[in-house]
Amino acid sequence: MERDARQDGRDGRSDGSRSAFVTGAASGIGAALVSTLTDRGWRVAGLDLQESAAELSVVGDVTDADGLLDAVQRAGQALGPPDLLVTAAGVFDQAAFEDITPAEFQRMLDIHLGGTVNACRAVLPGMLERRSGCIVAITSELALAGSERSAHYAAAKGAILGLVRSLAAEVAADGVRVNSVAPGPTRTPMLDRHPEYQDPAYAASLPLRRLVSPQEVAETVLFLATEGTFFTGQTLSPNAGAVI
Amino acid sequence: MKETPRGTVSLVTGAQQGIGEVIARRLAAEGSLVAVNDRHDTELLSAVVESIQGVSAVADVADREQVARMVAGVEAEHGPVQTLVCNAAVEVLGTLLEQPPEVWWSHIDVNVTGTYNVIQEVLPGMRRNGGGRIVIIASIWGTTGWPRASGYSASKSGLIALTRSLGRELAPDNVFVNAIAPGIIDSPQIQIDADDAGISLDDMRARYAVDIPAGRLGTTEEIAATVAFLASAASGAFVGQILQPNGGELRGPA
Repeated sequence: MERDARQDGRDGRSDGSRSAFVTGAASGIGAALVSTLTDRGWRVAGLDLQESAAELSVVGDVTDADGLLDAVQRAGQALGPPDLLVTAAGVFDQAAFEDITPAEFQRMLDIHLGGTVNACRAVLPGMLERRSGCIVAITSELALAGSERSAHYAAAKGAILGLVRSLAAEVAADGVRVNSVAPGPTRTPMLDRHPEYQDPAYAASLPLRRLVSPQEVAETVLFLATEGTFFTGQTLSPNAGAVI
Repeated sequence: MKETPRGTVSLVTGAQQGIGEVIARRLAAEGSLVAVNDRHDTELLSAVVESIQGVSAVADVADREQVARMVAGVEAEHGPVQTLVCNAAVEVLGTLLEQPPEVWWSHIDVNVTGTYNVIQEVLPGMRRNGGGRIVIIASIWGTTGWPRASGYSASKSGLIALTRSLGRELAPDNVFVNAIAPGIIDSPQIQIDADDAGISLDDMRARYAVDIPAGRLGTTEEIAATVAFLASAASGAFVGQILQPNGGELRGPA
């Protein structure tokens, strides 16, 4: 079957490679993205609070807008301007609503919503100029259905959905696609600290009877970045049946 | 991890032309033996079968006996179906008042009951084989509705609910059920819609594109690529999900 080069993901640099910028690249879903994209021939820049395995590893904080902009510019010079942005940086915490302090609530918003906004701001001018680009924001099944003791996390992840849907509508005509991936409970260090998700009874309660693997989330992002060319403003949710 | 359905048997309903045909071609290109279903044994169907070295699987999906014979035939020759794509559908536009009951029922009989018929016949073999993938082709109109498309939209909405229920029901048995709700796709249906509206094909495309942020209709290849994703191991954590390749026309839950 004949395929559009764009759909095959080969419209990047002259050597055929494409470049990606991944936040939260050092662990969990971000780390799986770095290895999956690299395996498939992408040149990957990764930003995290600690060093990552990305070809270009930048230590930085997504809440630092200037630092993020600088990192994207460095990545562009080293690897070519990003064809793909994936925002995977995040923190998870659980607390009853009345125990969440304003500072803790704000921190969730700063990292998830603010971090995603900062990253989009950094890559968008170039993508719009090139009239080509793909942004995938990692959100969560908790943004779709919420859960007890997760108000701050779910609110921050939920806000990303509104951002993605609006930005998608705004830049679609300019050739830039914006989507989100809302994973279900995924086997990552972030979730390891929360024993209820490690309880075998929890996995047994899911239709799939197991948690999601970081690799499966990475494959979903890769689909959106390559062949999912008519997807924009969408939320794909590999969630093991947690939210249907 | 990306695993193509090489060596597998696929069944695509309503596949002699349009989106179904391109889905059949894509699965065949990935190495699957494809049973190409349509209602009648036509030259169109034979040509598709021949060009992808597939097998002909003639049956009206609304006719349970025909479906049973078709599935039994495919299984006897090639073994159980691992990937089932329920694509066969009818779409007749018209206001609710002007459409006679038989038009209403054709949407329900073919689109909803036809899907049920094929799944129920394929499922025992799929289970015996240790699992499988079912991809149901719904429609954006199953969520948004559309004037002069009440019967069609109701049927597609029914398929979305069927996908969610069956997704929950079958995931424990390693059968993954998901749906694709395409937006407006540049398929032979657009010519039918243009004739219905009394305008040219290009004008019909332009009229649809106004509502699509991407500024264009989708391609049949883009739908086939989404099917290929849902048929692969890469989508192993998708259960009862509705994927919406629609160019941004609907940016919320299905």
